[in-house]
Amino acid sequence: MPRILRESLLYISVIVVFAAGCLAAPDFLKPDNQSAVLRQVSQNGILAVGMTLVIITAGIDLSVGRMLGLASTLAAMLLVEKRWTAATYFTVPAAAVSAGILAALVAGTVGGSRSGRRTLAVQCLAFAAAAAAVALWAVPQSRTGFSILSVLVLVPLAGFLLGGVSGVLISKCRLQPFIVTLAMMTSAYGAARLIAASSGSGYIHSLYDSQGNVPTGVDSLRVIDAAQLAACLPSWTPHFLSRSLAEGALRRLLENLPVPGLFFLLCLGAGMFILNRLRFGRHLYAIGGNEETARLSGINVDGVKIAVYAISGMLSFLAGVLACAQYRQGKPDMGAMAELDAIAAVVIGGTSLMGGRGRMMGTLVGVLIFGYLTNILSLRGVSTDVQLFITGIIIVAAVLLQEGYIQRLASRLRFRRRDKESFSRPI
Amino acid sequence: MTFPSMILEARGITKTFPGVVALRNVSFAVAAGEVHAVIGENGAGKSTLMKVLSGVHPDYEGELLLDGKTVRFDGPREAQRAGIGIVHQELNLVRDLTAAENVFLGREPTTRWGLIDRRRMNREAAELFARLDIDVAPDQRIGHLPVGQQQMVEIAKALSLNARVLILDEPTSALSDRETATLFSLIHRLREQGVGIVYISHRMEEVFQVSDRITVLRDGEWVGTVPTAQAARDELIRMMVGRPLTSFFAEDERTTPDERVILSVENLSLAAGVEGRRTRMQNVSFEVRAGEILGLAGLLGSGRTEVLEALFGAYGDRTQGCIQIEGRPVVIRSPLDAIRHGMALVTEDRKASGLVLQLSLRENMSLPSLRRLTRWGMVDGARERRLVDEFIERLSIRTPSREQRVANLSGGTQQKVILGKWLAMTPRILLLDEPTRGIDVGAKAEIYHLLRELSLRRVAVVMASSELPELLELCHRILVMREGRAAALFARENATQEKILHAAAPGG
Ligand SMILES: Nc1ncnc2c1ncn2[C@@H]1O[C@H](COP(=O)(O)OP(=O)(O)OP(=O)(O)O)[C@@H](O)[C@H]1O
Ligand SMILES: [Mg+2]
Repeated sequence: MPRILRESLLYISVIVVFAAGCLAAPDFLKPDNQSAVLRQVSQNGILAVGMTLVIITAGIDLSVGRMLGLASTLAAMLLVEKRWTAATYFTVPAAAVSAGILAALVAGTVGGSRSGRRTLAVQCLAFAAAAAAVALWAVPQSRTGFSILSVLVLVPLAGFLLGGVSGVLISKCRLQPFIVTLAMMTSAYGAARLIAASSGSGYIHSLYDSQGNVPTGVDSLRVIDAAQLAACLPSWTPHFLSRSLAEGALRRLLENLPVPGLFFLLCLGAGMFILNRLRFGRHLYAIGGNEETARLSGINVDGVKIAVYAISGMLSFLAGVLACAQYRQGKPDMGAMAELDAIAAVVIGGTSLMGGRGRMMGTLVGVLIFGYLTNILSLRGVSTDVQLFITGIIIVAAVLLQEGYIQRLASRLRFRRRDKESFSRPI
Repeated sequence: MTFPSMILEARGITKTFPGVVALRNVSFAVAAGEVHAVIGENGAGKSTLMKVLSGVHPDYEGELLLDGKTVRFDGPREAQRAGIGIVHQELNLVRDLTAAENVFLGREPTTRWGLIDRRRMNREAAELFARLDIDVAPDQRIGHLPVGQQQMVEIAKALSLNARVLILDEPTSALSDRETATLFSLIHRLREQGVGIVYISHRMEEVFQVSDRITVLRDGEWVGTVPTAQAARDELIRMMVGRPLTSFFAEDERTTPDERVILSVENLSLAAGVEGRRTRMQNVSFEVRAGEILGLAGLLGSGRTEVLEALFGAYGDRTQGCIQIEGRPVVIRSPLDAIRHGMALVTEDRKASGLVLQLSLRENMSLPSLRRLTRWGMVDGARERRLVDEFIERLSIRTPSREQRVANLSGGTQQKVILGKWLAMTPRILLLDEPTRGIDVGAKAEIYHLLRELSLRRVAVVMASSELPELLELCHRILVMREGRAAALFARENATQEKILHAAAPGG
């Protein structure tokens, strides 16, 4: 099979699924359905981006689903509660430490001088400064309730630290990624329940107050408010633009554009940049392909592994914040089993669980196929139980196609037939 | 026309890969009781032909005849059942299994209850190893054994099949003279029993010593088959490369090293033995001057590899001893430290530690140089491509493109990629472990030339090799290792093969 065809197989399959959707369900093409699909896939998509990076290093991160639940709980409590809660105690120090570590890393690479001791001093300074800055910024907010923006910064930072912990256990203690992230999954769920229950009002934290309002800004994580956007436009904006934004086509377009989808695309872009352009990305492939070769080629294998799990942790916490805004509540049970969907999407996208092979575009396709299939099946009124069953079959079929099994089978049959013909010919 | 005694015959085999025609209308046959050598340059298609014969590639054009009847093996297992055993060019052992488990993989002897009969398996493996003179315990895990011993286990595995046709694809490239001699006496015995043997090697002396007929391939085409008794070395080389031989061995002028010591090693030891290796490296000391090529000679498992790997920081904290580079003591705890000090290590086992097989030639070659090729963490693609192209050209690497996956390159070409990968980072100290393993005659001469060039550019080179002629030809001094210790040091002027072998012999 020509390489071109094999490479485009992935894209063809999305188109096929899309076409099938158009044929099978009349509602499929409607803007609000498409918008709903994007909304649904973006959570899985953000997890899958992190998962792709992890799987390329021949690892696995089973904790992302429960981490998402933990993050949604933290986000809801930070937004609603106007006092110090377990969520604050958890998030603020973790975010401060994360910020410190990131700052120290940046200082280490930028100010990396020959003398190791001076670099270390600079790094310590950077750590302290960044950690203090985050703490000073966050602590006063705890009394008034955190703004949506600070939640969007603090919670993913905390996730970065948690993911990093998995990474340290995997690289420094030489434990299996499967078991470490399994443990992290359980602990994150436990922590989420403890934190959620600590405020004494049950496990589910709703964002609605007694008047039925949600904290300001939460809705800006769901849809783009076109009217508000129109209001803040500068006066020199062309008239037709502001009109269109206020009540015209642009407004309808924006209202159907889910914000989580934008976050997903942003993460996807970042992931592509990492894999295609950064040295870090190249190191991921090398480690996944052959760790020993990578080590002997001078790659800091441990550091890269810690970073990749930290990134996965950060992304799952980001997805948690978005989920919290989306469903207007946070609860430990959110995102249960989401890790399996993410892994499935990554594998459908052609990333090898053996490591060393995979691309972000594939993951996008995997996420879309997954999302569209679920959507089509539910539009057709197929029950969830049957949906799950069919999804399993689809995953196997997609992977068989990916691994070239079907192509190999075809070529083998072809040669068989030819042998038979030449055999019956007199020599 | 089919000889009645031809066991396995290939007729008009054509095998293509995307962008490459590996074999073009090649015919080949092995008779019972003959040793048929196949020679050719790197990438000529030798391994591919063997893979067709042994069922690894079932999708070829042409015909395969077993005892005169057309067959098409669906996979290696079917070929095995038909009595075709193969030792592949690259090691194919499961690193976490024991030697005996590897030998009997997929054919484990079982007890009455269907459980693995471990005792019988170990006993049979021990007998096999004794027959082959292999110094490996059957219950030894294979992963950490030196490559040469792994290779011997691989050969034992093929022998245990009691094959009618035994294919050996560069079996001696990792072996030293002693193991090679054992293997040859075994080949003679098998030949007498009527086994057909296909033997691939780049070492012409071996080919002359062991074979009855020689087939030459060039660029995927059959060039000729000649009885060994009537073959002349120069003629064979001309057939292989398509040019007369003289253009190669242009005598390089000998280089003389500086007085300036670049690398000095004192009492290099490994704190605890490396898992699976019987000998421990202890108190090895030597100096390498600018522009000097120091050879490391010794038997399998004598500690040559350990010296190089320890120097390169591969054992982390377990290495003890004092290392000085240009007079300054340095601490090397990891390969990264070593690379920062301008060291490079070409490892012995391409598949396990030299290459990332899934990645392209470009990505493999630039791996240790990436630090130099990045800005703000981003790889400068244009500079990377320029660097890679330069070394593809300098090492005359045969590849359809720089984006080819290295897994799809021929063994010798892979070896060149590894050399290129380390030369591209412009090392000050170059450590080489069997650098010409699996490299063809012409390319070998090119690499010798390259090493001399490096020596002219004052690079310090330490080179371990099982091929004594190679060491004698290239090195200024030769350090002989025995049982983990430095046994003797010879200057080139007074080094001879006999003296080195004598110093290397255990208990000598
Ligand atoms: N799986 C593959 N995919 C693509 N190309 C391949 C594959 N296997 C071999 N080739 C190509 O086929 C050609 C012949 O390779 P082969 O391994 O048979 O060479 P060889 O004669 O064994 O060389 P060497 O002496 O280096 O081992 C080479 O150009 C190689 O790149
Ligand atoms: Mg070969």
